[in-house]
Amino acid sequence: MRHPSPLFELKQVSCRFNQVAALSQISLRIYPGERIALVGPSGAGKSTLLSLLNGTLAPSQGQVWVMGQNLAQARATSRRRVQRQIGMVYQQHHLIRNLAVIHNVNAGHLGYWPLWKAAWSLVWPLQVDQAAAALAQVGIADKLYARTDRLSGGQQQRVALARVLVQNPAVILADEPIASVDPERSRDIMDLLRHLSDTTGKTLVISLHEVDFARSHCDRVIGLREGKLRFDCPVSAASDSLFRDLYALSGEPQAVELR
Amino acid sequence: MRFLGQSATAKDISPRSPRSIFSTERLIWLLLTTAAIAGSLFLAGYGQRSLINWGGWPQFWQFVQASLHPELDPVFLRLMGKATLITLAYAVCGTGLSLSLGLLAGILASAVWWRTLWPRWANLAQPAWLTVRAALSIPRAIHELIWGLFFLSILGLDPLVAVLAIAVPFSAIVAKVFSEILDETPSEPLQALVNTGTPPLSAFLYGLLPQALPNLLSYSFYRFECSLRSAAVLGVIGAGGLGYQILLSLQSLRYEELWTGFYALILLNGAVDTWSGLLRRKMGFTSRLDLSTGQPRNPAAQAIARDSASSRVEHPSTAYWVRFSLAGIACAIPLCFWSLRLDWTHLWSDRTGMLLRDILTQAQPGIVTIEQVRSLADLTAQTLAMSVLAMVMAGLGGVVFSFLAAQTFWLPGGILYPIGQHQRGSVGAWSLLGTSRLVLLVSRAVPTPIWALVFLYILFPGILPGAIALGLHNLGILGRLMAEVNENLEDEPVRSLRSLGASGLQTILYGFLPQNLPRFTAYSLYRWEVCLRETVIVGLVGAGGLGRLIAEQLSSFDYGGLVVTLSVFIGLTFVADLISAAMRRAVR
Repeated sequence: MRHPSPLFELKQVSCRFNQVAALSQISLRIYPGERIALVGPSGAGKSTLLSLLNGTLAPSQGQVWVMGQNLAQARATSRRRVQRQIGMVYQQHHLIRNLAVIHNVNAGHLGYWPLWKAAWSLVWPLQVDQAAAALAQVGIADKLYARTDRLSGGQQQRVALARVLVQNPAVILADEPIASVDPERSRDIMDLLRHLSDTTGKTLVISLHEVDFARSHCDRVIGLREGKLRFDCPVSAASDSLFRDLYALSGEPQAVELR
Repeated sequence: MRFLGQSATAKDISPRSPRSIFSTERLIWLLLTTAAIAGSLFLAGYGQRSLINWGGWPQFWQFVQASLHPELDPVFLRLMGKATLITLAYAVCGTGLSLSLGLLAGILASAVWWRTLWPRWANLAQPAWLTVRAALSIPRAIHELIWGLFFLSILGLDPLVAVLAIAVPFSAIVAKVFSEILDETPSEPLQALVNTGTPPLSAFLYGLLPQALPNLLSYSFYRFECSLRSAAVLGVIGAGGLGYQILLSLQSLRYEELWTGFYALILLNGAVDTWSGLLRRKMGFTSRLDLSTGQPRNPAAQAIARDSASSRVEHPSTAYWVRFSLAGIACAIPLCFWSLRLDWTHLWSDRTGMLLRDILTQAQPGIVTIEQVRSLADLTAQTLAMSVLAMVMAGLGGVVFSFLAAQTFWLPGGILYPIGQHQRGSVGAWSLLGTSRLVLLVSRAVPTPIWALVFLYILFPGILPGAIALGLHNLGILGRLMAEVNENLEDEPVRSLRSLGASGLQTILYGFLPQNLPRFTAYSLYRWEVCLRETVIVGLVGAGGLGRLIAEQLSSFDYGGLVVTLSVFIGLTFVADLISAAMRRAVR
């Protein structure tokens, strides 16, 4: 079943940084409730695509429509209104390292809070119950007042997820969320994201390299290579050879076998 | 085993001639520096006339002997105690004002502020912050002593003079450093907030300021130490406090009283430096040097810091101690403002306005004659020579003292010992550390003009006593900061050198210097900029250079000439800043 209006729509989008083409001629639509895995070798343009979707990057050519708005032409306030509907999870977390966890979770409110409330919350944390509930949901309820940089990498990723829970966006974009955690924690984080999507109907766009997780946790795969769309199909239709071709080392220096 | 197309490169690994660590650029700077030092020595009269005044030794000896029996008369002690408190109050008020003004201006002068608030007008953002930075460079170029003399001539003897003389140039310095700190703070968390629709002001407050806070605070404490030294110097021009009392005693040749003043200054400086240093360390702040050299912080070091931080146990008394200190600061600022009884209405009283108008009308520079140009050129060369000699002395001495005064080095448990070995009572190591720290403390606690006057006993007048006084004072400051750098060095690489059998000196050569020498050089170059500005101070007591001319013009109310001299001086400091920046890039 396809909803009539897409959340995201890319129309013939190209992105160039100086002379280098990061993305060329991409067209795609993303509908509410979809769970999309974005795969492709390093430098394929996955991060560029995510930056286009959340409005931090304007395309060199073509149009990006997000929730019915062309972000490149939107005014700052209306762009922000769209952006607070989009949650981001990064590989490097991008948390404020020397603040307590509660403040990093509360940062999810910032799109809605006026300045005075944001300032006051740094002195006297507001909406503590909601933050505690979010932390409990990601499994680190006891870390509410711990300093963020004292947590392990996996725990920091959970704080970032708790922030997204508090922000309560319509879409979650995750840029290689499991690239720097061990396999067990990777599964945990992917389960959490999947669970969020199942229970609240949030749309997921996750860039990753793990084919197995793409198969088990998503329902649509988009393959990118050298800035071009290689395939865009339901998970069931994505065969092993498709992935192998996507990641193949052609064009790299010839490998020499030495004994 | 698989190699990626590297078989052909094996041929290239054939014997090569050793390559020098000096790039052409570095070599040119090295030659220029050597030439500058030789020229400075020549200008100081080295090898041309006798520099040491043997006739002054008996008096100098008297002065030294007096250190053993300072004046301890209760009446005099009370006077000195009051003077100490006044100097402290000047420093506190000056720092308080300069930090609040500097924070505001620093935010406006940072690129990240304009980028965050007006992302759409990226083209306009750069001119905006460049304008603010350029506007800030003028008050910064003029030494606090000249500001002091200026305020003295329009406000008369008033405690406002000292407070404003510190606050005006220091606000500009604080603004510059704060803006650099803000721009160097990782901006990804800020950007992450902006990306999810946070209004820019909230994002700035939430995502950037908390991260920058440790560095901002650390620099603030350092600024307080600087304010204290400036407050003492400002006393020398008559603004009251310890510097004034010391100058009076020196002029009336009462060496016993003089030493009482010295000891008071040393105690005050020692207490403040120790407190500020401890506070910075307890709060886990980075070194002041990392901020100023602008070197990217080592991600590996951060990772190590994070790992050790997670296992670190917070000692409860530490937290109380820090809180107690912060509460003390909160009380001290209003108390100091109250105790000085600053009368701000003086600033806009009729008399002030009249004097200011007088100065401004007289400050029309006349036509500059060729003779004046020649004399200005001579004095400029003298000023430069003085600053170069002072910088070399402070820089080289600072490196030596940075090892002697570093806690993590010679002491048991230090880097020269295996981990976990904590034998007690190595008296030699402790006394070496104590002595070198005391030398540094005394050097920086005594104001430069006082040092210059002391050296005038044994040296003939000229730029040499001025250069030595400047060098000594700055050695005290540099040595301490460099020792902090040595203490903060990651010790794994150094310990691994020790474990493969390197001697102490080898460890310095291979472990410490490669990592720290670029910073040391960069910091010496910063100090050169400071030394150049400070030549004014020693000029005031007759050590020559542009400072001496400024002093003469001030005392003869020749404001027209003063404007010319000051312009030359400011131009000189700008050029020096450019040279220093280019050299710092070369060593990085």
